[in-house]
Amino acid sequence: MPKTHTRGTVEPLAITGAGVVSAAGLGLAALGDAIAGKPLADSPPADPQPGDYPAGPMMPVPPVDFTEHLGRKGLRHLDRTTKLGLLACKLALDGTGEQTSDPATGVVMGTSTGSIRSTAEFCRDTLVHDRPYLVDAGSFPNTVMNCCAGQIAIRYGLHGVNATLAGGQLSSLLALRYARNALVGRQSPRLLVGGVEELGPQSAWAWHLAGDLAPEAGLGEGCAVFAVSGPQETDPDGGAAAPAGDGRPTAPALAWLLACEVAYLGGEVHRGRQAEGLAGVIERAMGRSGVHPEEVDLVSMGAGGRRGLRRIEERAVTAALGRVPERLLRAGEAIGECYSAAGSLQLAALLGDWQARPESAGRVGLVTAVGSDGNAGCVVVRAPAPVG
Amino acid sequence: MPEFTHRRVVITGLGAVSSLGIGADAFSNGIRAARSGVSPITSFDAAGFPYTNAGEVKDFEPSAVLERIRPERWGRSSLLAAAAARLAVQDSGLDPGELSRSAAGSVMGTTSGESTVVQQLTEQWVAHGLQGLDPALIAQAPASRIANAVNHELQLTGDAQTIPTACSASNYALGYAYDLVRTGEADYMLAGGAESVNRYTHAGFYRLGALAESTCQPFDVDRAGIITAEGGVSLLLEPLEYAVQRGARIYAEVLGYAVNCDAAHMVHPDPTSIANCIRQAHRNAGIEPDQVDYICAHGTGTPTNDATEVRAVREVFGDRLPPISSIKSMIGHTMGAASGFGALVCCKALEGDFLPPTANVQTVDPALGPGLDCVPGQARPARLDVVQNHGFAFGGNNAITILGRLT
Repeated sequence: MPKTHTRGTVEPLAITGAGVVSAAGLGLAALGDAIAGKPLADSPPADPQPGDYPAGPMMPVPPVDFTEHLGRKGLRHLDRTTKLGLLACKLALDGTGEQTSDPATGVVMGTSTGSIRSTAEFCRDTLVHDRPYLVDAGSFPNTVMNCCAGQIAIRYGLHGVNATLAGGQLSSLLALRYARNALVGRQSPRLLVGGVEELGPQSAWAWHLAGDLAPEAGLGEGCAVFAVSGPQETDPDGGAAAPAGDGRPTAPALAWLLACEVAYLGGEVHRGRQAEGLAGVIERAMGRSGVHPEEVDLVSMGAGGRRGLRRIEERAVTAALGRVPERLLRAGEAIGECYSAAGSLQLAALLGDWQARPESAGRVGLVTAVGSDGNAGCVVVRAPAPVG
Repeated sequence: MPEFTHRRVVITGLGAVSSLGIGADAFSNGIRAARSGVSPITSFDAAGFPYTNAGEVKDFEPSAVLERIRPERWGRSSLLAAAAARLAVQDSGLDPGELSRSAAGSVMGTTSGESTVVQQLTEQWVAHGLQGLDPALIAQAPASRIANAVNHELQLTGDAQTIPTACSASNYALGYAYDLVRTGEADYMLAGGAESVNRYTHAGFYRLGALAESTCQPFDVDRAGIITAEGGVSLLLEPLEYAVQRGARIYAEVLGYAVNCDAAHMVHPDPTSIANCIRQAHRNAGIEPDQVDYICAHGTGTPTNDATEVRAVREVFGDRLPPISSIKSMIGHTMGAASGFGALVCCKALEGDFLPPTANVQTVDPALGPGLDCVPGQARPARLDVVQNHGFAFGGNNAITILGRLT
């Protein structure tokens, strides 16, 4: 049966805040400095000792006093994944300049396994104690993958859409895609959207033993979260998110979120043809964004440290743009491989680059990603128009 | 501003891998007959646990259902998901080649992802240290493999989305898949969920005091808690127009859904927030409360859940409560798959004109108030037009779907 339906052009959504926690420290500027070549602080993984990790470069978030940012209350049972998410959301909300958060706001978080450390340690307790049920009930919620998003909602009073999205290396892009649907469908007026990954000994050993990473690639962690407004709070002409008549201040858009397209290229039809598949995804994303390839001069790449995938991604980007792009950002080389959080940190790297370059006004950037499981995607963003 | 294309979306295929049997008919016949799928745990060594029953799927042979997936390369939850999806496509009568050439994908819910893989890896950690982990098992660990498995089995090239919003995850999946088809992002979507019984989930619920010793008794005065359980479930969604063109059997139309968040407590549900979610689901579906003929409850059988859920329903429906029953009384709590099984039963109830029962009810808890019809003991004949399917979760993640007879 012929399918006549065509997927239309997407509505631009305003990104009005960004909260970034990475090996470079806190914020977009620190991430930008690291990508520009500033050496990272030499921090060991927070806990346990470095000797519990395999050999190879570890790129943890530098020591953070979470209580300083989040207060003392309620942190005791929270794992690192959740604390990284809470901190990034606080920074994103602070960036929008609001005193209190709107309870209709929601949370969309990408994570492929939740805190694998929390789950593994909880599971271990069922094996090593005298009785298998002698686990810590207070830690049980940490083993469910939506723990981080749920805790964010509790702490900031966010009753809107609350979703957790798992998609391996694509987790953050899938979160952005889910958020687009929820915002355009008027499920929440605004969402905090991002991805989170925690560096722990269990995941570090898993990466090491699986052998997916190039030897020189570092293992990172972190979280980037973006405040994204729905169409009803968006004024595409003014280049800013307008207040919804409730007296909240107008937050200028850091960028416009355009299309987010994904595909599963792990099947037989794409065997040996993943670059073509990803190129098609990038072309579709540009097309649905109403963007021409010549408008794109910056691509934030995802597959830097992954054996085999780096070449696929490069070929796909070149094919889709019809040229080698003028500039490539490789956040992973600066702050380590961040898996579920990678896409959100790639987007943060792109926004940070634009903030440091006023000449980027009105330009278009891409965030691309491809995972060893065959998931692939592309997000298109546009820098705000020149002032005046 | 570009206009969204909104298409009507229908459910045309059902697949289940359950403790009551393999296939949607085996499952729903078991529900209709109020059979129990609960039995002594065999998937892990339950010695040392005070309570040792679970709703395990005992007779699942992946290679009997799966056509492309090589079972040794995937974890149990992925296999349950892929098998359920394969069964749903078979049930739909849709040509698998046509499906794989279309804009099609999957959205699958889960609570603990590939929990039996994580359990095995943890056993290796304890026995050999972290350096002794098996790389082949590591590759099977990400929860995102669950939707990947569906796409891989059916050779789908669209979204492969796993949604780990705990015990409401299948309703999230169904809602998102509905949106993707409705808005034209996809032409066909498989939606559902998968969960595996495992040692640490069993331990966690026991330690929370939320586990029943041997029987799940939702709405009963003596209800004691949940029975941990597993399964895979999948529903095929497509635009009404396509279903009509190909002469498909249409189980139900997806009328709408809503999700929200309690933002109050990680494990205790909030009735006001759930009531808000119900009202929003009604608005999105374009229905009034008095149109709802049946509620497939979250109905875990814990004292707190059932009291909270009935209170929330009363806030919206007042004194006129629709019949509300819990299939967890028969299959236990399949966690991330639970609201998918609920949605499947709703489809079968619409098709077969019956109210699914709540098993194991001796005395309805008077504290739940008057006029509560939990369809105790056995299914009843009833013509249903609009049904409401509940899913609540840790993290305060509420998700409610509304399905209707096609009119």
